[in-house]
Amino acid sequence: MDTNSSVSGVIFDIQRFSIHDGPGIRTTVFLKGCSLHCFWCHNPEGIRVKPEIRYDPARCINCGACVAVCTNGAHAIDAQGRHTYDRTKCLSCGLCVEECFTEALVLTGKTQTAEQVVAEVLRDRAFYETSGGGMTLSGGDPALQPAFSAEILARCKAEGLHTAIETAGNYPWANLAGLLPHIDLVMMDIKQMDAQRHRAATGVSNVRVLATAERLAVETDKPLLFRVPVVPGVNDADADIAAIAAHVRRLSQARRTAGRRAPITLELLAFHRLASQKYQSLGLDYRAANLEPPTEQRMRELRAIVADYLATD
Amino acid sequence: MSSLVIEMPAEGIAPTYAERLAALRGEKMAQTQEKWAVIGAMDYDDWALILPPPDAREVIQTISASGVPIVDVKMKGFAAESNHPNGDFFGPVAFGRNFRRLLEMHPVYIDPNSSLAGGYMVNFGSYRKSGWNPDFDYSHLHAAQRLYKLHTGIGGAQHFCHDLQIGLDLGWRGLLDKIAYYRTVNTDAKAQEFYDGLTDVVLGMQSWIGRTADAAAARAETEADPFQAANLREIAAINRRLVTEPPQTFREACQWMLWYQSAARMYNGSGALGRLDVLLQPYYERETAAGTLTDEEAIFHIACLLVRATDYIQLGGPDETGRDVTTPLSYLILEAGHRLKIPANIGVCVGETTDEGLLRRGLEVMFEDKTGIPKFLGVDNTVEGFARNGYPLELSRQRAYAGCHWLALPGREYTFNDMVKINFAVVFDVALRDMLADSSVQPSVAELWRRFEFHLRRAIDTLAQGFDFHIRHMHDVAPELVLDLLCYGPIERARDASSGGVDYYNCCVDGAALANAADSFAACEQRIEREGRLTWAELLAHLDADWAGPEGERVRLMMRSVPRFGSGGSLSDDHAQRLADLFTRLVKERRTPDGHQMVPGLFSWAMTIMMGKDAGATPDGRHAGAPIAQGANPMPGFRKDGAPTALAAAVAAVQPGYGNTAPMQLDLDPGLTRDEGGLEKVAGLIRGHFALGGTQINLNVMDKEKVLEANRDPSKYPDLVVRVTGFSAYFASLSPEFRQMVVDRLIAEG
Repeated sequence: MDTNSSVSGVIFDIQRFSIHDGPGIRTTVFLKGCSLHCFWCHNPEGIRVKPEIRYDPARCINCGACVAVCTNGAHAIDAQGRHTYDRTKCLSCGLCVEECFTEALVLTGKTQTAEQVVAEVLRDRAFYETSGGGMTLSGGDPALQPAFSAEILARCKAEGLHTAIETAGNYPWANLAGLLPHIDLVMMDIKQMDAQRHRAATGVSNVRVLATAERLAVETDKPLLFRVPVVPGVNDADADIAAIAAHVRRLSQARRTAGRRAPITLELLAFHRLASQKYQSLGLDYRAANLEPPTEQRMRELRAIVADYLATD
Repeated sequence: MSSLVIEMPAEGIAPTYAERLAALRGEKMAQTQEKWAVIGAMDYDDWALILPPPDAREVIQTISASGVPIVDVKMKGFAAESNHPNGDFFGPVAFGRNFRRLLEMHPVYIDPNSSLAGGYMVNFGSYRKSGWNPDFDYSHLHAAQRLYKLHTGIGGAQHFCHDLQIGLDLGWRGLLDKIAYYRTVNTDAKAQEFYDGLTDVVLGMQSWIGRTADAAAARAETEADPFQAANLREIAAINRRLVTEPPQTFREACQWMLWYQSAARMYNGSGALGRLDVLLQPYYERETAAGTLTDEEAIFHIACLLVRATDYIQLGGPDETGRDVTTPLSYLILEAGHRLKIPANIGVCVGETTDEGLLRRGLEVMFEDKTGIPKFLGVDNTVEGFARNGYPLELSRQRAYAGCHWLALPGREYTFNDMVKINFAVVFDVALRDMLADSSVQPSVAELWRRFEFHLRRAIDTLAQGFDFHIRHMHDVAPELVLDLLCYGPIERARDASSGGVDYYNCCVDGAALANAADSFAACEQRIEREGRLTWAELLAHLDADWAGPEGERVRLMMRSVPRFGSGGSLSDDHAQRLADLFTRLVKERRTPDGHQMVPGLFSWAMTIMMGKDAGATPDGRHAGAPIAQGANPMPGFRKDGAPTALAAAVAAVQPGYGNTAPMQLDLDPGLTRDEGGLEKVAGLIRGHFALGGTQINLNVMDKEKVLEANRDPSKYPDLVVRVTGFSAYFASLSPEFRQMVVDRLIAEG
């Protein structure tokens, strides 16, 4: 690997002590950009590729420092002395963020080299070793920045770290194929088996998603964890989950038929509304605002359905 | 005398240990609630003190043995005899005599549900009028002590560890015999006075224990319940023997320790216990082999000890040869703490060769109880670190966990542990003002560092002189008569442990507010030097005004938004490292003028709030009087995601490394149950911190919602227990400021 020419990419967070994204203590690197537009997305700042300004008026002290540096008139102080922000004029250049010490204005998304990312990841090496953890690429969808992701993963493998990826699977196979040699665990979402309903919920058909799942199951021997965000009206009926579980069972059988042994598992995650504030700060419409998260009881019932299918596997 | 009478099952059915423990817990809760009503907030160890009966007590304001102002309760009808014109009493004769008089009139406490008798009701120190004998003058040190607002340790008591083995071997009569023998060896008048004091302590204890035996026998006569009557008769018989004899059984050993620890606590606040699993192991082994002791009974006796003594205990860890001493008994002690769910200070050793199961069991207890019990001791790093002072590893391994954040060689080492603090925020402020008042220099961060080093060295030199002064005179001010009994040397040499009686003097020097000073250096470098957004003079004006006005607030936020110590790879992290290295180097670069070792650590204990009040506004954006950072910890909110690994790596990076600790305080709502792998992940965090050089972890696994609710209305959760710093306490016992401190530290993982 040429360490002098590290590939750059856009990330929006590096989260240390990440404990929900794979085994052990992990650092999760969130890459910006996703080809799905799920209306409930928990990480809406990960959908668009380019950096964006998040604005939280509650933190603003109306000091006007942003007005002084903005070259496009996006910021102003009105007649009442209050700060206003016109997102349509914003170029997301980030100059205002540099002056905003209350963190009312925050730049989401920054360009970093893979080398820089991995340097941050390695800060917690001791904890990966003591907990069986490692690094997880998430997003957004990391497979949409394949060269950047490949280099991060390869550098982590070269350092002896366990690597995982969280992906939505909606891209040409080549996007993922280049990453696979450096991945120990693949976590992939399946949201809905019905193509039309998938499109209605995410903006895209599930055809490529299912194709990716199929090839992952049959052509690779990577441990696979399929994850389903259980979202009311999208996939929270018994039949929705049963269809996904049945599909995962078929994939599991296909893998064994192909002579492969690595485990394929399915996990249900409950939709939550914790992202609400993020939508506001990004100036986005939060269409899941009135959705009730599934109850614990409902999640137990759905998990029982999954258990039935996978037990008869 | 208050005591809870539990409703007994139908006649003829003995209460179970679980029922008796529940009754003991209930009694403890009732006693604690009475203390809340009478004393109010208690921002310190629970201490298990029982209030004297209402008609026998008076409430006073005083200063604790650790230097903290407290409300205290005195026994009516007892006045200490003075031997000084200022009305106070000093030296071994007066201390021994007064303590004996207090013991001789101290009420008897017997809970018929407990297997052990005894409980203490007052602090002897509350009868003292001044901390120091004015005949010994140290006014030559005052100017520097005040300039740096040092916590000097002069006149401070205990904070080292006795060796209970001596007492378990000799018993009270054996101790009297030992004193009598050495009276004939050291015959000078000063030695005789010292022996008089020690003798009085033992005679006082014999009176207290003997009266308790009599009272138990008398109560047994009138006790209608046959099981409680039988228990009282056993308590009477055991204590009658223990007036003179060393303990023979497991239960007697627990009873002997409870008496001694109660005396040590009452005398001057000592809560050191040390290696309880090692001390009790011979009794446990003998009786379980003979079939006379079951594990359930052993747990019960230990619980009866812990409910009345919240002393600091080490479980597991190396023996002299490096072999781990964990036994099944270690687990039973942990189990006793688990069943009690009251404040307790149990530390579990975690190292290369320690028992993995004990760590796991400790975490299970922590996840289940959420009481901050146990804490975790990075034994490999403290052993190797202590050896770095020039001691053999065999000796180093004997150091035992025995206080908030500290260790000591049982019976052999005098330490000043946790009493001596340098507030780096104050030293920084002195250095900054010194630099800006000097018109001959161009202000810069480099110059600020030079001044900081100068003042830090001067602060340490001041402390060093204070150590020598204390060691020369403490024998004649407030001798350690109770701890002396169980040390190697004081009786033999007729010298108090504070003043040459033991072999090793390692003076603890703790730094505090590391994060505030490091973040301040970085904020100045970033905003003044690199970006030119502010001048030094403007900064000083803002500090003097405590960031007043809209512009002050903007500048404060600007300074505060520079990435802080703990964020990883930041300027502040670099300055923190440099500060820790400098502090360690300065403490270790020489001994005190009298030749005593000093040992650096980082810990602010419960003084995080008080030391904050001592310090004006700091360039890290902290307001004047606001709490400083806790010990070696970054400031709360140092990272947006608050990553515990970032905290663990940062605290590990600033360890002084000479055997005294720089604990990590971690308050975590992991958002994961133990069944979801939470336990393994926290275990990984603990092991990772120690692998990076960490020395001790004060961990709370909490339920964020419950803590927030309890902070709004403490009475909702009267039995919620938290680890405040090194010590654990009922959350409802804490003042609003301390409760807020715990809440602010909490890192919740989604």
